Amino acid sequence: MGALAIKNVTKSFGDTHILKGIDIHIEAGEFLILVGPSGCGKSTLMNIIAGLEAPTTGEVHIGERIVNNVAPKDRDIAMVFQSYALYPTMNVRKNIAFGMETRGVPKKEQDEIIARVSKMLQIDHLLDRKPGQLSGGQRQRVAMGRALARDPKLFLFDEPLSNLDAKLRVEMRTEIKQLHHRLKTTIVYVTHDQIEAMTLGDKIAVMKDGIIQQFGSPEEIYERPSNLFVAGFIGSPSMNFVECHLAEQGGEYGVSLQSEGDARFVALPNGARLADRIGQKVILGVRPEQIEVAEEGEPGLACKVHLTEPTGPDTMIFTQVNGKEVVARVHPRAARHPGETMRLKLDMGKVVLFDPQTELRLV
Amino acid sequence: MTSYNGPAQYGFAERWLPRLVLAPSFLLTLVFVYGFILWNGYLSFTTSRLLPNYEWAGLAQYTTLFANERWWVAVKNLFIFGSLFIGGAMAVGIFLAVLLDQKVRQEGALRTLYLYPMALSFIVTGTAWKWMLNPGLGLEKLVQDWGFTNFTFDWLVNPDMSIYTVVIAGIWQSSGFVMALFLAGLRGIDDSIIKAAQIDGASLPRIYWKIVLPALRPVFFSTLMILAHIAIKSFDLVMALTGGGPGFSSDVPATFMYSTAFTRGQMGVGAASAMMMLMTVAAIVVPYLYSELRGSRNG
Ligand SMILES: Nc1ncnc2c1ncn2[C@@H]1O[C@H](COP(=O)(O)OP(=O)(O)O)[C@@H](O)[C@H]1O
Ligand SMILES: [Mg+2]
Repeated sequence: MGALAIKNVTKSFGDTHILKGIDIHIEAGEFLILVGPSGCGKSTLMNIIAGLEAPTTGEVHIGERIVNNVAPKDRDIAMVFQSYALYPTMNVRKNIAFGMETRGVPKKEQDEIIARVSKMLQIDHLLDRKPGQLSGGQRQRVAMGRALARDPKLFLFDEPLSNLDAKLRVEMRTEIKQLHHRLKTTIVYVTHDQIEAMTLGDKIAVMKDGIIQQFGSPEEIYERPSNLFVAGFIGSPSMNFVECHLAEQGGEYGVSLQSEGDARFVALPNGARLADRIGQKVILGVRPEQIEVAEEGEPGLACKVHLTEPTGPDTMIFTQVNGKEVVARVHPRAARHPGETMRLKLDMGKVVLFDPQTELRLV
Repeated sequence: MTSYNGPAQYGFAERWLPRLVLAPSFLLTLVFVYGFILWNGYLSFTTSRLLPNYEWAGLAQYTTLFANERWWVAVKNLFIFGSLFIGGAMAVGIFLAVLLDQKVRQEGALRTLYLYPMALSFIVTGTAWKWMLNPGLGLEKLVQDWGFTNFTFDWLVNPDMSIYTVVIAGIWQSSGFVMALFLAGLRGIDDSIIKAAQIDGASLPRIYWKIVLPALRPVFFSTLMILAHIAIKSFDLVMALTGGGPGFSSDVPATFMYSTAFTRGQMGVGAASAMMMLMTVAAIVVPYLYSELRGSRNG
């Protein structure tokens, strides 16, 4: 059963076109991530789903209904805002109860729900405090509590963790994921943080300039990014982009790579599909962990180490290929010092190629 | 001694120049505000009549004041004017601010329009409204000329109603200012709070009544303070609009004080009434300043 379908939704404010034809469909219980840089229209799309703004054209379906003309309160949704949007003059209990009061939930039931929700989120000791007396993390929990009190068909989270410090953010991320496992409610979650996107999402929609650049599972988006933007946006450190020319050598199709002082031809598996592009320029995209240290006797490209960044479990090696800076993620024991040379090899089964003009993926 | 850890010590000029620049206005304030307050306080305990003298009279002037019917009319008028003016200006101002907060397109133009009355002096407001409310010239004549010959609106010349014309003109003058204060406050409210309340299913009036206006409590109190002290000091508006009349039906303490002290040759009684006004203002303002200052020190 479809839980949320967005059909060709556009949104313009006057002459500014913010959303340019959004199509999304998710099933009940799925965790959808909308990810993209600031200002790309994520919040606008969220407000349209919530009914806080009307789409210029297009349809929004929640469950089996078209909700274009349904008021926010009747859409059976709950929303958590980036600024938490707690009612400043009400204490935590009143904040959670406000929506239930408005909907006419009996007092006794309200108390039960508040007790259950506050226990689940460990805010039961804060019920009599005002938002101004809470820390950022506590406010965040109250905002979630307010949403959970509703037991809605659809949860909307608009950058709920952006205002928290790094450690708390990671903790809350895990809690939200556990919550989703437990409640199995459909969630739409906006973030500009690609790590949140990868760790939480069942489905990810990568947005830029009001257009969905790619919609798919985290694995699809990570392994087969549909264009240069998605490839560069998802993953940390970012994917390396190396310009090279497609060539044929001894019946094999591939690209030639040059480092400072070494050069070699590397063949692409299934390269024959690119036969008609021989001689053309392509952009080779390779993630840092897809560059490995070549074993003794294995073919490899000798690269000079410019800089190393140990992160603990891995060490980042900065070097240069085809005139572009390239980062490789290697085991700390395999890392050499700056100035020394390392023999590196690319996992050619996983690299992706992009057309430099259209910026779309080739294979 | 040497563990001074404030800002670095500057040269002589840098340290004394600010004080030197402030000194004249400081001195003037000291003499003409606080000095005269003290002088007036002293006069209220003397037998001064047409001219000040320094013959001690104890509380005699206060006794005369409290026995004066005209003073009690002025006090009652202040009470009527103060409560209706504050309530009315507040209600109209908040209502306009909430309307404007609904993202009316011409907000800039409208805000200026409503703020213009505030730029006028009360004398101008009073005179303009005197013409408008004059039965032979303004509103009454206009409506009668339209054919409603039975229409009467003679509050300005009706001793029972004259104070209410002051209320009308005062509200007209000040509600734009109240609106500006509240509009600024409303703009400070996070949009997403209103969105959250919409999703919670609250109607617009309920959102304002339960969430937004309670959050504007500090604005409410500041506005109340300002309006209250405008009301207590109101002199020019009454002078220009009704002159305290008909008779003394629209007198307020300030006009009472002026006419007693300067036109009726009872300076001692005037001084006593001025002291009563000072006490009233102090009773409102001092606790307010105290709480404000304490609040700002705490953070
Ligand atoms: N009411 C509005 N009027 C005009 N432009 C708006 C309005 N709301 C948002 N925008 C513009 O739409 C763009 C997308 O905003 P938003 O959806 O908040 O981005 P995001 O949440 O992805 O950071 C921004 O450039 C913003 O300036
Ligand atoms: Mg946003």
